[in-house]
Amino acid sequence: MIDRVSGVALNTFRESVRDKVLVTLIVFAVLVMGSSRVIQPLALGEEAKIIKDLGLSAITLFCVLISILVGGRIVYREVEKRTIYIMLSKPVRRWEFILGKYLGLMAVLVVSMVIMTAAFYLILLVLGVGAPLYLLLAVLMTLFELAILTAVAVLFSSFSTPITGAVFTFAVYFVGQMSRDLKLLAAMSPSPVVKAVSYFCYYVLPNLANFNVRPEVVYGVPLDPSALLLSGLYAIVYTATVLLISAVIFNRREF
Amino acid sequence: MSSVPESVISVSRLSKTYHSGFRMKRIRALDDISLEVEKGEIFGFLGPNGAGKTTLIKVLMGLTEPTTGTALVFGRSPRDAAAKARLGFLPESPYFYDHLTAREFLALAARLSAVPKPETAGRVTGLLRLLHMENSADIQMRGFSRGMLQRMGIAQALVADPELVVLDEPMGGLDPIGRKEFRDIIAGLRDRGKTVFFSTHILSDVEMICDRVGIVSAGRMAEVGRLSEILTGDVESVEVTVKGVTGKTQKILERVSQHSIRSGDELLLTVKSEEEVDRIMAIAREVGGIRVVGIVPRRLTLEDYFMARVARDGRARD
Repeated sequence: MIDRVSGVALNTFRESVRDKVLVTLIVFAVLVMGSSRVIQPLALGEEAKIIKDLGLSAITLFCVLISILVGGRIVYREVEKRTIYIMLSKPVRRWEFILGKYLGLMAVLVVSMVIMTAAFYLILLVLGVGAPLYLLLAVLMTLFELAILTAVAVLFSSFSTPITGAVFTFAVYFVGQMSRDLKLLAAMSPSPVVKAVSYFCYYVLPNLANFNVRPEVVYGVPLDPSALLLSGLYAIVYTATVLLISAVIFNRREF
Repeated sequence: MSSVPESVISVSRLSKTYHSGFRMKRIRALDDISLEVEKGEIFGFLGPNGAGKTTLIKVLMGLTEPTTGTALVFGRSPRDAAAKARLGFLPESPYFYDHLTAREFLALAARLSAVPKPETAGRVTGLLRLLHMENSADIQMRGFSRGMLQRMGIAQALVADPELVVLDEPMGGLDPIGRKEFRDIIAGLRDRGKTVFFSTHILSDVEMICDRVGIVSAGRMAEVGRLSEILTGDVESVEVTVKGVTGKTQKILERVSQHSIRSGDELLLTVKSEEEVDRIMAIAREVGGIRVVGIVPRRLTLEDYFMARVARDGRARD
């Protein structure tokens, strides 16, 4: 089982790494981080915080883009190019295939993150604004957020086209960022329809706002370890559930 | 060990209906198909384009589910990984991962098929040699021609040395030399006791290498059996070529034969049986000046049979 899942994952990883999209996105992310030098004069003494915030935001943004753009077509592409016939005629179970695809993409994201984070720290050192390891906490929380988002991308990819999948995944990401506002809206809205829809979105869609600890780490505000641990557990449970649903859908598909 | 032949593929009363298009029009791709393929056989699955060959193969590979009826591979559901572990599959017009080299791709296929790791490199090199792909082994497959992709397709199907090999239009995209090599590979599989199930619309492939054939036409099984049973081998007609025939004798000869064509000095006569050949010879001796220059018996070919069968089914449906 491990051989088959890792085989699919390795293939997915190779496919993405040899793809121009990934390299382009990583190069852009580094360029954006480097550009903080340009806006330094506007920062009025807050440059260290702005450079850190911009760098961490760039890592998150570009990893989210990789997750949505690469993840959105990850299963579809195999169906479209009919490589799925080869894969599924081997003794590979369909859930193993979905899990392998997911893990392959997560490996891509981890490697991309490592490269971007290394570039980020290099920029911090070059600019001499201090590079505390505390900032890594924000990157780690982004990784948990990406675990959820990538599972959602694989879910949509397992039954829809890349564009539809990307749009829906982005919508989930966007709404997930506002989950606290959604709960507030649900509590305050007089309309029962708005209330129902808001509560539905709040409980079903992932609560991604909890994974954004960038302001805290940039301003050196201490974080509650138990809250972080809870967020990590939430990410694992949510991801496992979404992957399970993806596998069930994919299992019923005909090619 | 019992002597009862082991059924490798067993399809019973299988039908497949698709719903297609905006109005969900029903399309019956397969209609009440039954067939058995036994261990060690080369089974040719024959039919015109669009007859349902690929649909049945997809059912056998667990890629799609039958609407009614059953399909078993090694006595198991085609979705069962234990059945898939014993087979290799070449899809029609295969397409692989652009980003992988030929060697990487075969290594992936081996890994997914649980080929023991120490054996993988040797197997991959052996297959690349068998298919004359050694020189392209380490370049990415994005630049491969149709024929090269077809070779990679058979290589990945054989990588786990499976008991059953299922090939969908294996000769597609191959030049005559490639087709000969593929026939040799299939014959080699039979010599090693493997079972081969392949679909084609090219009759000469089937006539040369198949033990048994199934003929499918418009989703229905028209015939299943040994080639020798379908094509009895009886002489259908005899073509006699004669020279030096004059107008009057031509009339007499034409009365004896079914069909005649005049071409310059020669007259080609088609007669029903060998006895009628004797009558033509007798007339030729009587009249004099006439020489019989050729006698060719015509047996029913698979192509004759196939054309007649498909045409009949076509008429029946109209």
